[in-house]
Amino acid sequence: MQEALDALESYKKKDPAKVVVRFKAVGNAPIMRQNLYKITASNRFQAVIQFLRKELGWKAGDPLFTYINLAFAPAPDDTVANLYKSFATEGHLIVNYSTTAAWG
Amino acid sequence: MTTYARHSPSAFSTTASTTLFRRLTWEGTVPLEIRVDSKELPANSDRGLECYYVQAPRVSYLPLVVPELKRFLMDVVFDEAAARVVKEEDWWFEGEDGTTLKWHWPIGLIYDNYTITSSVRSTPSSSQTAAPLRLVLHLASPPTDRLLLSPSAESCKQAFMGQMKEADFIRWGNTKRMTGLRKAEQDGLWEGIREHNFDEYWRVASKVTPTTAPTRSQSPPPGNSTSLHTRPPSADPNTGSAPDRDGAYNVRSVPVRIYLPEGPVLQDLVPPNLDDGLPHTLGSFLSTHLPLLFPPSSSDPPFQDLAYPLIQGVVAPLDAEVAWLGACMAGADGWVNVCIGLLRDR
Repeated sequence: MQEALDALESYKKKDPAKVVVRFKAVGNAPIMRQNLYKITASNRFQAVIQFLRKELGWKAGDPLFTYINLAFAPAPDDTVANLYKSFATEGHLIVNYSTTAAWG
Repeated sequence: MTTYARHSPSAFSTTASTTLFRRLTWEGTVPLEIRVDSKELPANSDRGLECYYVQAPRVSYLPLVVPELKRFLMDVVFDEAAARVVKEEDWWFEGEDGTTLKWHWPIGLIYDNYTITSSVRSTPSSSQTAAPLRLVLHLASPPTDRLLLSPSAESCKQAFMGQMKEADFIRWGNTKRMTGLRKAEQDGLWEGIREHNFDEYWRVASKVTPTTAPTRSQSPPPGNSTSLHTRPPSADPNTGSAPDRDGAYNVRSVPVRIYLPEGPVLQDLVPPNLDDGLPHTLGSFLSTHLPLLFPPSSSDPPFQDLAYPLIQGVVAPLDAEVAWLGACMAGADGWVNVCIGLLRDR
């Protein structure tokens, strides 16, 4: 049992690695001057959404919809690392953002 | 020998065993004991009855349990004055240990996650069997930052659709199957879950879920002359020489997530076949991603597994093929959730 608990602890350690996230505006959403950011892989996608809202100067309640690869909205508790492993294209995780629901 | 020609009339050939496992997965339920937080119980409530017991479908979601829970509380527990002010938009759930329960996790996953979390704590494991999962219902101030979604059936539906599309993308590299559904069909998926109606859900879900049609080797044996009297191969999309485009073993990857006790959740690409062409098994997948808990069989000296995989409440055999799990044991959102419990010293 102790051996198993030790194993679990090692899998719980947060990966300090960063991955490159590329933000792309969709529709009428404002374009960001800088759109490539290094983001800690162990962050949840929720943190990416919050970061994006801050960069855009969005107020609470302003609508913002986020998608991966122009295809789907990920669960907010999924980690950047998981999304990167499954969906990265050419070394970037592409996050599309829109002020209206697009592929919801 | 006409039985050889007896195929499903739909384009999606579904074998009897596939339908059986899909139905078993669908019909699975878990016992919940839901208690209103005693500090938030309105004045004049009937305190002897504030507990509600339900067998909830594994494929359902907490917001879909709220309406019947509300009916019970209104009818039996709250008085009229309280019933007027209580707002179900503010309701949210906690586990007994104070963890906020996610709106967008299927109830079966919440239950299995509780089972594996118990496996690392020092409670005796014998009392775990089919014990109800105890939930605390709060009537006010939902912690939206921890719930991650506003607590409503509508936002739960949106999250569910997002998961369906993510699973679609994982399988085929695009979401054409999901976006190809008409609005009424997409709504039908959610209605099927809400009504816990297997046929309504699968009428649509069969258009996006891979098939497990038998491969040609399981067709009538060659040399059997009666097979000449069945349909010619060209009439059957699954026994012709063209590969089965929608087959479980032809997906790019199977939508799988691993849940460890008290986190984290791991997700990676899980191809249905390995480089040597053999089917990818649950055992090889787990020993690749969690070698400390599932030591590779080639390890020397051979180590015993320290953990077990729980899928839809069932301890899954390690030789199960991931492609089959994706077609038969996935939740309604298309994902195979593998919860890892620790084996106790025997």
